[in-house]
Amino acid sequence: MKKILFISITVLMLASCTTQKPLYTWGNYEITSYNYLKNSDEKSTQQLIETYQQIIEKQKGSRGVVPPGVYADYGFVLLQANRTEEGKAMLLKEVALYPESKIFIDRILKIIEE
Amino acid sequence: MKNILIIIVVAVAFLSSCTTTAPIAKSVAYKGMYDEKPLTVLLMPPINRSTNVEAKEYFYSTLYIPIANAGFYVISPFLSMEILKKESAYDAELFLNSPLTKFGEVFGADLALFTIIHKWDKSGLAAKVYIQVEYIIKSTKTNEVVYTRTGDVTYDASVSTGVGGAWSGLADIAASAINTAATKYVNVARACNAYTFKDLPAGKYSPIYGTDGEQLAGEKLFKLNLNSKYK
Repeated sequence: MKKILFISITVLMLASCTTQKPLYTWGNYEITSYNYLKNSDEKSTQQLIETYQQIIEKQKGSRGVVPPGVYADYGFVLLQANRTEEGKAMLLKEVALYPESKIFIDRILKIIEE
Repeated sequence: MKNILIIIVVAVAFLSSCTTTAPIAKSVAYKGMYDEKPLTVLLMPPINRSTNVEAKEYFYSTLYIPIANAGFYVISPFLSMEILKKESAYDAELFLNSPLTKFGEVFGADLALFTIIHKWDKSGLAAKVYIQVEYIIKSTKTNEVVYTRTGDVTYDASVSTGVGGAWSGLADIAASAINTAATKYVNVARACNAYTFKDLPAGKYSPIYGTDGEQLAGEKLFKLNLNSKYK
């Protein structure tokens, strides 16, 4: 009886210790995005691009998909670096994965075409 | 008998005045969010009323992750910021008390998240940062505030070097000074946001979406101490 009680308490304690896996993983996003926001130079742009690539290719979040907004912002940074076709492709990926982004992304695509 | 009654009445009145606000369920505290079932969130550029000129950037770069990880669709922060700048809408203060329907039309946003940094002070050697931040989430459809919390946070950015002996104090002070360099302040904003949004109702992409209404909401006004270990 005592044994059962002991096991139950241990299981309960362990269960309360487990942390839930986040929906998405972000690599160094907070630091690299801050640096880009602050400097917007070649180095910070390159570091942010690498962060986006890492978020996309090595996504370990519980949803197993790229977080909302990442394809779109990656596309924006590519557009800023005059990589127009790659940038547009990323914007379209955002809409495919998150249809709720269509209103905004369509507006951006229209601006690019003008 | 009369005296006893008076004592009881006074005691009850005294005790009731001492009670703190009872915790309430998220579905009550943030009723608008449960009623409207919003999906998309636009991060407004933070309103900086503090004396630290960089506080706006620290906060803007750290708002995205907790909101997305809560299950919402966050409208791409850099792309939306670019459009806000182009439309002369970068100063969020202008929209704090104005109709937000335009943000729904242009960005497809259901919610707009405003942050007001009231205070960001630091003490040099103690490596402490004192922040007061107000978070306001408004519906772009009804213009109602659906979520708001204000935090008075003391953040201890000091680190321990693990160096023993007479020099340990000096070594710790030097390490803390490095730790409080510009990019480290990102951690201050991150910890503050992470703590605040712990009680944010789950968004559509969260596995607990629609089932977390009975959980308790945090205090609207809170004071706390955080340090670099807070995740």
